[in-house]
Amino acid sequence: MEKWITAILLKFPGTNCDEETERALQSVGFKTEIWPFTLVEPTRIKNVDLIVLAGGFSYGDYIMAGKLAQLNIQQKLQNSLNEFCHQGGFLLGICNGFQILMRLGLLPQGSLISNTTHRFMCQWVELNNKAQQSPFLKGLPSSFELPIAHAEGRLVTQAPKQAETYLKEGNVTLTYTQNINGSAYSIAGMQDASGQVFGLMPHPERFLYKEHHYDPDWAGDSEWGWGYYFFKGIYDHIEAM
Amino acid sequence: MAQAVLHKPSIEVSIRDKSDAELSALSSVMKLSLSVEDMKAIQIQYKNWDRDPILVELEVIAQTWSEHCKHRIFNAVIHHTSDGKQTMIDSLFNTYIKQVTQGIQAQKPGFILSAFHDNAGFIRLDDQTAVCLKAETHNHPSAIEPYAGANTGLGGVIRDILGAGKGAKPIGSLDVLCFGKPNTSPSLIKTRHVIHPLGIMRGVVRGVRDYGNRMGIPTVTGAIHFEDGYLYNPLVFCGTAGMIPTEDIDKKVVHGLKVILLGGATGRDGLHGATFSSTSLDTESHEEDQGAVQIGNPIEEKKACDCILKAREEGLIDFITDCGAGGLSSATGEMLSKTGGTLYLEEVPLKEPGLSSWEIFLSESQERMVLGIQPQHTKRLFELAGIYETQCAEIGEADNSGHLKVYHDGKKVCDLDCSFLHTSPQKTFRSHHQTKIASDIQLKPTADWGNTLKRLLKEFNVCSREPIIREYDHEVQGNTIIKPLAGALGDNPQDGSVLRVDQTEKYISLGVSLLPQYNPDPYRMGLSSVDETIRQLVVTGADPDRIALLDNFCVGNPDDPNELGKLVECIKGIADAARAYQAPFISGKDSFYNYFETDEGPESIPLTILISGIGIVENASHITGASIRQPNSKICFVGISYPETGGNACAQLTDQHGGPVPNLNPEEAIKIYRTFYKAIAQGMIRSAHDLSEGGLAVALAEMGFSLKAGLEIDLAKIPTRTTLGTGNALFSESNNRILFEVSSDYVQKITTLFQGLPFSIIGETYTNHRDLCIHENKTIIIQEKLSTLKESWKNGLLPYY
Repeated sequence: MEKWITAILLKFPGTNCDEETERALQSVGFKTEIWPFTLVEPTRIKNVDLIVLAGGFSYGDYIMAGKLAQLNIQQKLQNSLNEFCHQGGFLLGICNGFQILMRLGLLPQGSLISNTTHRFMCQWVELNNKAQQSPFLKGLPSSFELPIAHAEGRLVTQAPKQAETYLKEGNVTLTYTQNINGSAYSIAGMQDASGQVFGLMPHPERFLYKEHHYDPDWAGDSEWGWGYYFFKGIYDHIEAM
Repeated sequence: MAQAVLHKPSIEVSIRDKSDAELSALSSVMKLSLSVEDMKAIQIQYKNWDRDPILVELEVIAQTWSEHCKHRIFNAVIHHTSDGKQTMIDSLFNTYIKQVTQGIQAQKPGFILSAFHDNAGFIRLDDQTAVCLKAETHNHPSAIEPYAGANTGLGGVIRDILGAGKGAKPIGSLDVLCFGKPNTSPSLIKTRHVIHPLGIMRGVVRGVRDYGNRMGIPTVTGAIHFEDGYLYNPLVFCGTAGMIPTEDIDKKVVHGLKVILLGGATGRDGLHGATFSSTSLDTESHEEDQGAVQIGNPIEEKKACDCILKAREEGLIDFITDCGAGGLSSATGEMLSKTGGTLYLEEVPLKEPGLSSWEIFLSESQERMVLGIQPQHTKRLFELAGIYETQCAEIGEADNSGHLKVYHDGKKVCDLDCSFLHTSPQKTFRSHHQTKIASDIQLKPTADWGNTLKRLLKEFNVCSREPIIREYDHEVQGNTIIKPLAGALGDNPQDGSVLRVDQTEKYISLGVSLLPQYNPDPYRMGLSSVDETIRQLVVTGADPDRIALLDNFCVGNPDDPNELGKLVECIKGIADAARAYQAPFISGKDSFYNYFETDEGPESIPLTILISGIGIVENASHITGASIRQPNSKICFVGISYPETGGNACAQLTDQHGGPVPNLNPEEAIKIYRTFYKAIAQGMIRSAHDLSEGGLAVALAEMGFSLKAGLEIDLAKIPTRTTLGTGNALFSESNNRILFEVSSDYVQKITTLFQGLPFSIIGETYTNHRDLCIHENKTIIIQEKLSTLKESWKNGLLPYY
């Protein structure tokens, strides 16, 4: 019997990038389902390969972005996300999902706070690939573009030097080539020590096709955008496992 | 009337023996905004029924008959005098708007799938899918409380889409804003409590941002117009496009359907919004009418949206509409207008206890939708509401009584004959218009033409909107292909925005036009607005024969015959242009009483019309941006330039007022657009830009901001039929002109294609410099670095937002 590789998208009230993220996951081969958070049970996530926290404004993000989602996940799923990772599962957080993963403590300590511009910023950015061995990034070049859209994407750590350690120890996966939001060491994406938990502020699902690029003459690929290779990387990795 | 009386649910208000003066006083004390004629019509009806109205009934009639809900001016009899000639117009709407659409319906069968009767009009995208568009204004609330006003303005129009058909999916929004100039000296504001344009602009933009971004609907297109005329009464237009399976467009209420209220709870916010927006503003509005402004909660609406779309997919919905102006009374009143039905107000979930019957029934609390559901589907709908964490309540059912019956805690608080409720008396107005003949003027430069261009690029109505555009998430849903800022460097202005439509091979293009500077000639303003919208869609790759339009009017005081006269002429203009282009109106809205009673007299807005357009882009290869892509391309120009300087941006900058407003030759224009579309379909067009504010010089500069090449053109080569002069050649804003980039390989082919039309190759793109170089024969008129021009253009708004 054919074995499907499955990805689940958790949907909180206010999650709003779930459909395009699902489309991106499907385009690389994942079998997917979107689960409203009310339907999520600790036992249900066991047989899943990848859990995705998509972008949006969970519960409105009126108090620190991702805070209420974090509390609700902790109450409902307790340790089952950690167990899921221990058993080899992958956990991806994009934008608001990244904020939630940070708050859950599943990524190295830090917080994503208001951009130094104090604005919502919807634009394309160039990123440095700092973790080419990561399953998410191994199909991507040393620098590439993705769009961002956030008001709270500035990574800060308790001790100012902490972020430098993250860079040295390989926790930093992506940095902005130009520090647009004031993030420590221009950090745009992080992973945990195992590489199974991955969070980033940019939106790979918004650069799935070549036509998503703002420049009609973008010459990086003839059909797909960089986001496709981001999702394809993790799919191929799980398939080869 | 004492406050205590208002809270007795079933109290009767005696009107049968009241004099005209007493009726008028009653209308004003109860804030009904009903005229003496309306009050008398109500009086006669109740005399026939041999009883007095219950309080709630009067409130329901007032909301239903309000200008906001029934568009009574658009349906009025107007005795119009135009240049001394008298005509009688029986309904502007029927005569000009509806008739145009009906004519086109006959000529393009299957294109318009629904127009005017639903919350939004639908057109055909492909065999299975339809798309829709709707725009609304939220002017008065935004004047008093800019953030909340704009927030709920967008929230409201999104609900229109959710309430269109059996629940369309919102896929893109637009916002068009009219403000006073951001650098207005505070000493110019003649009255207390008026918020400075800077405060209005910042509040409104953030209001749009926080609703649109949280809903996950990309804000993809729009416009901002700055003019002193909007100092006291800003305008905020919000629009949303949606998609739906074609089979889910038709909906019907039948006997036995359960009436379900879904979404947020009901509170005291937004009482009398419909009647409030149907009168003028004054100083007291800022103090007294705060309760008429609603409070937005986008996450509440997002939850409702997720639930509704799922319920529609599962086939649970028979009927749906939104709770907007007039709240439940309007929503259920419209829903049950054909059948009748019974409602139980105690079933309505409340934000706080102690609301009286009329407060529950009229509250304009946001994020509420009314559904008609077959009894066997209610269980599953309630389950879905639980899954998506929204609230659902069964509040009544449809019957076939023809009466709207409302009970509250066992007492009957309303029992109205639907046919009476929905037939408001026809109003009568007088209007007057005199065409002013303007003679041509020759534009002269400031220091030199290069300097004029640099200054013009910095002007509020020309400069980049980037600081504001970046605050809006214009890429959520992952379908925005032509973004509001694009081109090789990602920051060039574009004309329309192009969106992929999920599960189809096709795309839609969205564009807008608003030209209040053309007020001196309202008929031509109408023509020009339609033309600019079509042009914006056509340059992005839309098929000129598959475009639908919306008309949104904002008017000052309709009781002033001159202001109403301008409106009549403008409507004639949009109707003539739309008919010639075979582009139907599928929906529209009008907003009157946009004036402010200052201490020194009334300040009206200029007559303002927003034409929004939705066009079908047949396939990906047709999508065209507005930025130069390569060196060694030919720069082509199609359309005739005239010395039409009325309302012209350069003329205003250089204080050279006067001259005729741009006219339109729609027969020639549509030929140009169809030919241009052939060129697009044959893959000949690299980029294309519409000529609008700032004319040829600004359009060239904007295309060049990709900095992919230098641009050189010869002014002497542009098609013209009169003596134009250098200034007018550079800055004329004549209609139906397009500038486009074509590979030099296609010179022969493109010239042949445009044979017989005013077409010319006016220049080339160069690899050896990045200048904008404009000659006239051998004389250099403008030579400027594109990067310098771009800096001027990018920094115009930056200090203010």
